[in-house]
Amino acid sequence: MPAKSDPLLGCAPITEKPGMDRAMRVAINRARHGKQAAAFSHQQAFDGAIAKLVHAIPVDAHVAEWFAKESLIPLVKPPWKKILLNPVVLSIALALLVIGGVFAYRVHEHLRDFPGADKARRLLSLASSTRSVLLDPLKTEAGALSDLFFMKYRLEHYDIPAEFAEFRTLGSRVFDDDEVHGVAQIWIVEKRMQLFLFPAEKNPKDGSVTDFSDWRFVELEGWTGAVKQRNGVCFMAAIRGGEKDIAPYLEKKKQ
Amino acid sequence: MTGEAGKAQEAFQDTVREAALRVARDEPPPDRLWYFRDARWRCIAVCEEGLQAEPGMLEEADISPVAPMQIAQLDPDQLGVWISAAPEPQRSALALFYLDEFTLREMIDLLEIKAPEFAALISSGRRQFQAWLDATTPYEEPFDASQI
Repeated sequence: MPAKSDPLLGCAPITEKPGMDRAMRVAINRARHGKQAAAFSHQQAFDGAIAKLVHAIPVDAHVAEWFAKESLIPLVKPPWKKILLNPVVLSIALALLVIGGVFAYRVHEHLRDFPGADKARRLLSLASSTRSVLLDPLKTEAGALSDLFFMKYRLEHYDIPAEFAEFRTLGSRVFDDDEVHGVAQIWIVEKRMQLFLFPAEKNPKDGSVTDFSDWRFVELEGWTGAVKQRNGVCFMAAIRGGEKDIAPYLEKKKQ
Repeated sequence: MTGEAGKAQEAFQDTVREAALRVARDEPPPDRLWYFRDARWRCIAVCEEGLQAEPGMLEEADISPVAPMQIAQLDPDQLGVWISAAPEPQRSALALFYLDEFTLREMIDLLEIKAPEFAALISSGRRQFQAWLDATTPYEEPFDASQI
């Protein structure tokens, strides 16, 4: 073959077997249909003749007898323990475990979900980033703000549950979020908790709202929200911490 | 690989014995290439005891269109002796390539070299063999009485 030919052609297979590299296939195809066709054809004929001669090399009868046996050395299947300790198997198992864990966490998270949980989580993330200066200063009892919301913003049923009605406030505001409209946010002195009131999630089929009187919880980035829904309005008390940090406030009314 | 049937048989039997021992130790050969890799090293070890060929000492010639006819005149043993006289790793490359049993990937894996290096070994071996053929087995056109 000429010196400028594809170097791969130098070891072009004598008989083309399935599974040949694409690069080799392309090089052979080019050689067969290009200027090197004659030289390549001579090379192939040369290689074929040698391969034929190689196969004519006599094999010792004793060795041939060995090869005639179907299983020269019996292949022993590796034991289960060895298979399990194989790094590839271990990696796959670990990956599946992680995927399974994430999936289970997501399922568990959504099992506790309720209508409006997504809105509540969004507001929880807002709570974690809100500074008190963003709110209008207002020092009063939280329960008194229901009238303010109705009188000033025409927000009906924005009532503070009895459990939080007596806490002193630092400030409040009413705003429209990208996804939640008519959100009332109140900052209270107690544990610097934040209270949110926002419209409940409507059933997309019939537009109805299903209230719930028990406390339901959402968690996000170290914050926990206790949510209750009444008269089509969701109330959420947000606190930095877990469920156990907010639980005492929810039992207050019962006592 | 060895140029001698006795040495080759010895290497083959040692490889089979080693494989059997591995099976007995519960560490069977991982794949069929293991046999060829092991046998190759045994053959190289056997050959190292004798005279070694030096690379780049043979003449080269372009592949002739009549090469298949020249090759057809050879005795298989002559080819075996010629290949076994080649230096390593060219000897192993030629032996594996002309067995026509392996893919390119398997051959470069067995020889632990890169594809361009393997191709260069085969190409130069081919040209050297052609030069040797020209010197030892020149092809003569058959006599055609009708041309007189």
